[in-house]
Formats: sequence, structure tokens, C-alpha cells
Amino acid sequence: MKGKNLLVGLIMLVLVLSGCGNNAGNNSANSSVNSGEAAAAAGNAVEPTELSFYFTGSLNVKSMWEKIVPMFEAQNKNITVKLVHIPSGQGGQSTMDRLIAAKKAGETSVDIDLYEASGSDVLLGEAEGIFETVGIDTIPNISKIEASYMTDLNNLAVPYRASSVVLAYNSDTVSTPPQTADDLYEWIRSHPGRFAYNDPATGGAGSSFVVTALYNFLPDEAVHSQDPAIMEQWKQGFDLLKELGPYMYQEGVYPKKNQGTLDILATGEVDIIPAWSDMALEQLNKGLLPENIKLTQIEPAFTGGPAMLAIPAMSVKKEAAQTFIDFVLTQEAQETIVNEMFGYPGIKWSEMPAELQSKFESVAKGYRQFQIGELGTEITKRWQAEVAAQ
Amino acid sequence: MNLDKAGALRMKTSTAKSGLSRQTKDSITGLLMVFPSFLLLVFIVILPISLAVRESLLDPNGALSLANYKYLFTDKAMKNNIIFTLNLTVVSTVITLILGYILAIYLRFSKGRISEWIRKLYFIPMFIPAVIATYGIINMYGNHGWLARIVLALGGDSFPRFIYDYNGLLLANLWFNIPFTAMLLSSALAGIPNSLIESARDVGAGKLNLFTKFIVPMTYKTVLVAATFSFMGIIGSFTAPFLIGPNAPQVLGIAMQQSFSIYHDVGIASAMAVFMFLLCSAMGYFYIRSMVKEEPAGR
Repeated sequence: MKGKNLLVGLIMLVLVLSGCGNNAGNNSANSSVNSGEAAAAAGNAVEPTELSFYFTGSLNVKSMWEKIVPMFEAQNKNITVKLVHIPSGQGGQSTMDRLIAAKKAGETSVDIDLYEASGSDVLLGEAEGIFETVGIDTIPNISKIEASYMTDLNNLAVPYRASSVVLAYNSDTVSTPPQTADDLYEWIRSHPGRFAYNDPATGGAGSSFVVTALYNFLPDEAVHSQDPAIMEQWKQGFDLLKELGPYMYQEGVYPKKNQGTLDILATGEVDIIPAWSDMALEQLNKGLLPENIKLTQIEPAFTGGPAMLAIPAMSVKKEAAQTFIDFVLTQEAQETIVNEMFGYPGIKWSEMPAELQSKFESVAKGYRQFQIGELGTEITKRWQAEVAAQ
Repeated sequence: MNLDKAGALRMKTSTAKSGLSRQTKDSITGLLMVFPSFLLLVFIVILPISLAVRESLLDPNGALSLANYKYLFTDKAMKNNIIFTLNLTVVSTVITLILGYILAIYLRFSKGRISEWIRKLYFIPMFIPAVIATYGIINMYGNHGWLARIVLALGGDSFPRFIYDYNGLLLANLWFNIPFTAMLLSSALAGIPNSLIESARDVGAGKLNLFTKFIVPMTYKTVLVAATFSFMGIIGSFTAPFLIGPNAPQVLGIAMQQSFSIYHDVGIASAMAVFMFLLCSAMGYFYIRSMVKEEPAGR
């Protein structure tokens, strides 16, 4: 008993002394790292690899990763993931700039081991050669992803979740929602003032309505073209939008932001709007949208897009990053993503549990990916000049 | 803090270098005290403005040109935006001043219980953030808002459109600017001694005469100040126009944000900023000139 007390006292003394040697803040950090290492050494006899994972997005993205990372770390004792969240609108671009700058400066390594990339990031990364190629050999679960998605990205990034624009409608007043784009335009004409899409400059849902209206008149390949010559062919689509203008909410009011149209759908001012699937599902789930609001996808579908994970080629911890991505593509992690983000899974629906499949049935028809780059800006500009100001 | 430092400095210099005259020392101290705010001005105001002016004079290839300004005044949509903004700003400022003046005069000369309550409550809008106020306006005046529902319940069949319209912006501008204007004018009116007004009445001045010969001349400078502040606040407004403004034409602030962060057209956005800056500095110029005229620098 007395000996034990003495031992505790000694340990305390040692701690205090070491605390005197260092400054106090450092000391506590050191000791926790030491104990962590000790535990790892006892368990696997390997030092854990720390992955720096840079991602951007709203708070829901952050809380999703905060759920997934502990699940991953519990299964992979030798890897820890350091989450670096860059809130959207606060320089998500800077991470790409850092990667490019590091490459141009001729450095050999970079402390960004994993990056959540957008479509334009992947295009840019491809031009600059900063992302590592990914494939089934290093990440077996990629086999669960629709093969064409991977080839669209030139195997430079892994789409791990997606969301798309869908139609949200009031099922009390709309018993049979439009099934095709032409049905929808016809419905708008026969129900003046009951449809609204948001100003495309302020949100993706309205932008998707505009872009699909233009490109439905064009051949399928056009959606992957960034050739400015294609702008000539937009006229028919813009004429359609202008013609639909007087049938819109308040004879041509386009609310601001994706939330703007959801608000007037909730108050019953309109009956159908285009909306982001994840936003609408989340608000339905939280009761912000009334229960009579239903979602559906039309044919040809609205646009949508994946969120992707990419591994910087200069990272020195590629293997750990690959292990992490492989985990993100497991059914277990994908379920968390779908439930947390109300998004689509990155892997095929057939790989998901049946219960989730039926829950998302109405919107799971898929989406179209547009890769029109800078042309999107041109569309918004012309929409502002021709449709808004008509 | 700064004062202490300056004081200490003065003591030090006066003991160390007795060669300098007192006046020189004072002016050195003065300069040192002005220096921090001067630096702040340089980096926060002067430098960004000159960068914006430079940016607005460059075409996409980096050559000097007036193309951005030409676009600003010839493009049909842009011309409409400018006319819309100026119209809204001038109309809002004038109505703000009229209503603010009436309110201030009422508060100055009325002693009833109602005016007591108004005096306590009228500046509340100043303490409500713009976003919250704007959502309040949407809830109140929206197509399905409170007022529309009340009108409908009382048997009315239509309600004028406020949200996504010029009317709504006018309403929001009045809401945001009347309290401050009334507050400025109230303090100016409070400066008119009661004895003056009473003696004017004694010699037979009517209400109209009292107003035009005494109250207006004694407060017009404050009116000018209030006009300047309202004008600048309204022309640069963003939150309300962004949330409840029409899609087209747009207020310049919105058009500028769109050019800058959606079209990535820095040149045109800068040209708009410079144009707005010139408008505001014109207002500022008249304001400062009248101030200087009235109070020759002698204090």
C-alpha cells in the first residue's frame, strides 16, 4: 500500500519535472501522443499512419465524415485520419492551389493525402497531373461503382456519393406528376403561376432546369462538350424558357437560392419546383417540408453530380488513403452516407440494402452529368439578359 | 492607451531634446497620433479603391481600355440596372427624409403618451439584422404572408405584390433608414431652444412661418447629413435586394456580385464599383463643402 503511494508520487514527480523542462502546453500534447504510440506499438507493433484529409462543404458534410472516420479507425488500428474541414466559400480552391503550387515548386511530397474534389477540380488536376490514378487493383470496392462514372473521370477520382436535381411536387394538388420534360413544360403552360424555378445564378436547382431545357434540344454528346461553338444552338432552348416565362410563379418571378423555391412550395404558393434531392429529403425528414411534398425524377433526367475523393500523386501515404477510400465504398459506410446526407450512394443501388432501395425509389432513377465547364457561366449570363429581363 | 503613449512621448522628447520648439514637438506628437489611422485608411480604403480603378480600366487581355465603362453604359440590361438603382435610391431617400422629418417634428413638439411610446420604440429597426428584417418582410408582405391572409380573410381578392418587386425594396429601404434619419433630425430639432420658438410665436409667427423661417434653416444641415447617409446606405444595399429584389433589372450591388463571383468578370464589377463610388463621393463632396462653409477651420 505504502509502496504503491510512493510509486504514484514518483510518477507525479517525474511528470511535474518533465513539465518544467518543456512548456506545459507542449507537454500534455507530447504525453498523449506518446501514450497513443505506445498503445499502437502494443497492438500492431507498427506506428499509425496519419492521413490528412482535406474536404470542403457545408456542416452536414463535416458531421458525415465525423461519423465515418471513427468507424474506419475502429477497423484499421494502424491508420488515423486527420480531418481538415474548409467551410464552403472560404477558399476550397486554395487546397487545389496548394497542390499545384507544390508541384510547380518541384517539391517531392505534400501533406495533403486525400482530397474531396469537385468535377472542375478533377479537370484541373488532370491538366496539371496532380492526382494519382485509382483502380480496382488498389481499391477493390471500385468494382461496385457504375463503370462509366469511373471512365468519365479518367480514373482520377472516386465518386463516393451523389445528389441530383429532381422535381418536388405537392401531392395534394398534383395527382400525376409529369413523367417527361415535355410533360413538365406542358403542365407549366396549363397551370399558370403554379411552377417556379430559382434564379440559376443563385442555385443549382434552377440552373439544372435551365441547362436541361437548352440541352434537351441538342444531341446527347453535347453535354460533354466545352466547345463555345455550341452556344449557337442554345437559341431554341432560350426561346422555350422565354415562352414559359409568363406561366411562371407571379408571371415570371424566379426566387433566389435553392431554398427560395422550397419555401414557396412549402407555403403552397406553387405546386412543382425543381430541387436538389438531398436538400428536399433532408427537409422532409426534419419536417421543414410538409409530408404531402413528394419527389420524382423526369425523363430525360435533370442534372446531378457526384462528390469525389482523389489522392494527390505527391502524397507519401497513398496506401493508407486507398484503404480509406475502399472503406468508404463498403455497404456499411455508404449506408451512413445515404442516411446522413440524404444523397445517393457512390456505389450501385443494387449493392445497397433493399430497405434503403425502396426508401429512395422515387428519386433513384439516376441523373445526367453535364461537363460543359465555362459554358455554364455563359448560360447564366444569357439567361439573365434574355429570360429574366424579357 | 494612445494618449498615454503620446503623453509619455512628449515628456521624453521635451526632456531629451530641448532644442525643438514646443510647436514642432506638438505637431510631431499629432502626426504620430494620426499615423495609425492613416495607415488603416491607406490599406483599407485608398489602396483597394485604386486597385479597383485600375482593374476597371483593363480589358481581359490586360491592356488599358474603357471597354468596361462602355459596356456599363451601353449594354441594355446594365443600363436598366443603373436606372433602376438610381430611381430606387432617389425615391427611397426622398421618402425617407420626408417621413423621418415628419416623425422627428412630431416627437419634438408633441408631448402625449403616444409620442412617448413612439420615442421609445422608433429606433428598434436599427438593432435588427438586415437578414432577419428581410425575412420578416417576406413573412409579412409575401404573397402568402400575414397581410395577404388578413386581406383575404376580410374578403379582399387581391394583394399588391411586394416581394420580388420594386415596392418591396422601397419598403425595406424605408424600414432600414427612417429610424436613423429620424434620430439625426430629432437631435437637431432638440437643439432649437423652446424660448426661440415661443418668442417667434409671441410676435405672431404662424405655424408655416415658424417651420420655413426657423425650423428648416436651423436643421437643413442635418437634413443634408441624413440625406448623405441614407443615399449611401441605400445605393450600396445588398441583403434586401438579394432576397426580395426582382430578377431583372437588378440593383447595382447584386449585379456587381453576380459579375464578380458568378461570371468572374472582375473588370465590369470594378467599373460598377467605381461608378457607385463616384456617385457617393459626389454626395460626400456637397456634404463636406457645406460643412466647411459653415464652420471655417478655426477650432
